[in-house]
Amino acid sequence: MITYSIEELHQLFKTKRLDPKTYYDDLFKEVDFQQKRLNAFVTITKDKCYEDLNKADFHSLLSGIPYVLKDNYNTKGILTTASSKMLADYVPVYDAHVVDLLYNAGSCLVGKASLDELAMGGTNKSALTGPVFNPWDSTRIAGGSSGGSAAAVASGLVPFALGSDTGDSIRKPAGYCGVVGFKPTWGRISRYGVIPYASSLDTLGAFTRNVRDMCIVTEAIAGRDERDMTSSIKPVPHYLNHLTDDISNLKIAVLTSVSNEIRNPDIKANFNEVVKTFKKLGATVENVTMPRELMRTLLPTYTIIANSEATSNHSCLDGIKYGDRQEGTSTDEVMINSRTDGFGDLVKRRFILGNLALATENQERMFRKAQRVRRLIVEEMNKIYEDYDIILTPNCGSIAPKIDEANDDRLSDEYLILENHLCLGNFAGTPSLSLPSGFVDGMPIAVNIMGRLFAEQTILNCAYALEKALGFANQYSREG
Amino acid sequence: MNFEQVIGLEVHCELKTHSKMFSSSPVSFGEEPNTMVNEIDMSMPGTMPSVNKRAVEYAIRVCHALHMDIDELLCFDRKNYYYADLPKGFQITQNRRPIGKNGYLDIEVDGQKHHIAIERLHMEEDTCKQFHFADYSLLDYNRAGIPLIEIVTYPSIRNGAQAAAYLEKLRQILLYTDVSDAKMEEGSMRCDVNISIRPCGSEEFGKRTEIKNLNSISNVQKAIEYEALRQEKVLLHGDEVLQETRRYDETLKKTVAMRAKGDAVDYKYYCEPNILPIRISHQWVMQIKEDLPMLADERAQKYINEYGISTIDANILVASKDISDFFEETISYCQEYQLVCHWLLGDVQAYLNKENITINETELTPEYLGKIITFIQNETISSKQAKKVFAELMHTGKDPEKIIEEKGMKQISDPDTLSVMIHEVLDNNEQSIHDYKAGKDRAVGYLVGQIMKKTNSQANPKLTHELLIKLLKERISDE
Repeated sequence: MITYSIEELHQLFKTKRLDPKTYYDDLFKEVDFQQKRLNAFVTITKDKCYEDLNKADFHSLLSGIPYVLKDNYNTKGILTTASSKMLADYVPVYDAHVVDLLYNAGSCLVGKASLDELAMGGTNKSALTGPVFNPWDSTRIAGGSSGGSAAAVASGLVPFALGSDTGDSIRKPAGYCGVVGFKPTWGRISRYGVIPYASSLDTLGAFTRNVRDMCIVTEAIAGRDERDMTSSIKPVPHYLNHLTDDISNLKIAVLTSVSNEIRNPDIKANFNEVVKTFKKLGATVENVTMPRELMRTLLPTYTIIANSEATSNHSCLDGIKYGDRQEGTSTDEVMINSRTDGFGDLVKRRFILGNLALATENQERMFRKAQRVRRLIVEEMNKIYEDYDIILTPNCGSIAPKIDEANDDRLSDEYLILENHLCLGNFAGTPSLSLPSGFVDGMPIAVNIMGRLFAEQTILNCAYALEKALGFANQYSREG
Repeated sequence: MNFEQVIGLEVHCELKTHSKMFSSSPVSFGEEPNTMVNEIDMSMPGTMPSVNKRAVEYAIRVCHALHMDIDELLCFDRKNYYYADLPKGFQITQNRRPIGKNGYLDIEVDGQKHHIAIERLHMEEDTCKQFHFADYSLLDYNRAGIPLIEIVTYPSIRNGAQAAAYLEKLRQILLYTDVSDAKMEEGSMRCDVNISIRPCGSEEFGKRTEIKNLNSISNVQKAIEYEALRQEKVLLHGDEVLQETRRYDETLKKTVAMRAKGDAVDYKYYCEPNILPIRISHQWVMQIKEDLPMLADERAQKYINEYGISTIDANILVASKDISDFFEETISYCQEYQLVCHWLLGDVQAYLNKENITINETELTPEYLGKIITFIQNETISSKQAKKVFAELMHTGKDPEKIIEEKGMKQISDPDTLSVMIHEVLDNNEQSIHDYKAGKDRAVGYLVGQIMKKTNSQANPKLTHELLIKLLKERISDE
């Protein structure tokens, strides 16, 4: 099976040089093969996919294009588990807003992809269906929480997949898997119908194998939705039409508070190469810093805010209305038994943490303090954006870890800052894109490009220019 | 020792908006369970709230009517607790910034005025309804998400009668602002009581109890009276009042302990992240004030000053919004204000009492009532006939005009026609003429009766009487 971009596939279908039915028959053979290798899917939606295909007229760019959804997107009549035992049998009665949009665009759903349980995690190891393996090296993680979506795109199965990003859950796995991952502005895409993690941080976004495809998908899923009051009424620009690789007028800030933490010499060299490339492309590139003590608060601030919101967001999962119900002699007992049985240890730990931070006796010095620190961090970022269009950082400090080595419990500065700085974009609600920038030890690595609120176009242009200069577009791995 | 009662009331009221507080599913009562429900009301994972603008408007109306300061930055919070009737595991409410603050309501008890200070009014959503059976429970989500407002007084109420008067007055406001059915019996208005007692003259508050499960205003009063006495006995016995939640048992006519304060839940309030603070326009708030429907007191004043209705009658008219509305509509057909009032408070009210229904459930329309009164006024029918027409109308729903025609009730008010008939009666009753001449007044009554019999009661009584006297006098002088 040949792997195409959205634009290529669209042209082939439209001009009838490729028979859609044959293409999809081949595709599902490859899906079955890759599923055995990567364990990326919770559900393969073959029947639904052919139904979608029957409806496709191939006129518009996304019509007839295969895609994958993270399994926390509600899909009417199709199992939606959020990779949690609690929702192992949950079949939604409604579609998420963006699922509606893609259905109307004629895209064809290939499957629902694995994630860390309830999108809480960065390894995809807490998924009910087990870990997702990295397409470039199946002894390594794909990353999380949108690991299945990243792997589906990085293995060349589909040209795009949707994920959700609360701290770095799109961008981190995108970097580990060598694909483009984009978290647009908070409010740019309606979150209605996507099982949340932390509402004030959650942002939907896509994985693609090149920046042009990212323009197409982001434009298709963005826009106001009356059912999400936080979705913006700002019109959605035509990102693809306005895409340019001329970035000579861009001012790029290299956030050395992050890049100076790189210990891996190859990753350091790669990052320096990217900086040099931007200079060559004519952009103004300068170093900036943020206060170190503030950078060290990123993880605790994130942990408190995200888990506090998560604990109430998931209080609806009580076994009463849907989901895993365990019997009890009273409704209280039913709820306690169901939640005890339905959630994994990591999730339960985070709920307890969230409850602790929200408790009236602690709220001032934990949750509210974290909200104040968040504001301080955002103010620091805004100071940088007064002078610069873009903040540039490495995506993280290492290649994708080995499956048995990946964990979330480290407290070194390298880890505190370099593995957690992507949540800056979630704190500020600003757009942030991770772009493949090279290989280290045979594994893909990436850089991250952040910009001002609703400056999606600027980021896409910047990424487009870099992508062209570096030449890592459209890469995928079918074996390894 | 004499004790003073310190009482605060928390009133929850369901708003009669078309759709729910945070979802587009309909607000409708008496439907099949779990039919007025969408994915948001059942808190399917991934759903999000959208604020109902009409509910905000209704809340602002009540704020205005209660003279409150209105917060033009609308903020919502999450109140976190687990309960089977709470679909999300939290309730969206307004904790930090209620939409209304610092209001009041003036009430009157036994001719004495009292100023009841109101602390806050905030918006929230209702839970679903639970039905408990021996070994299972059922849930009806139709109620889940219906908009609620909660109105909380300062502890400025001093006895059960004041509490009842406050609730009556508040209920009237909820009805006249047209925001709620405000039926305590059906739960669209609910009241919780916080009550403590303290030695008269003391500034310190005593330990308080909260009373729930009160389904009528009179039960609120009874519960307060019982609870104040109970607390007094406890204190006089040298014991301490326990801070606890109690419920009112209607059969026992007692308050009964439900749970101790130690069981109190930490609600872990924090701002609702899916509803950013909404700046509501000052212009809109003022427009709502301008468009506020006329409240009961204003209506009563208008009835007294403009329509010449007595204070007592005016207050009875406005006591029920249905009747007051009916009155207002009727006088657009017939400007006999006092007659309309007397009919409504007399025959109509008697009928409603007898049938135990409300005026909107009857066949009577303002237009029909207006017609009946107009027919009496222009002497088409007599008052006595009017009662028959009314009875027939309530039975059949027919237009009074048609009833009068069908029953041949139209009065004979033509003097010539009547005169001919009177002469015929006089011709046949020579003896009565003699009696009249001899000063026996009851002869007149007898003759009127004969005329009525002859005309099938259609003779205009007043005119008949006048003509009869005139013709009798003529006959006597002719002799």
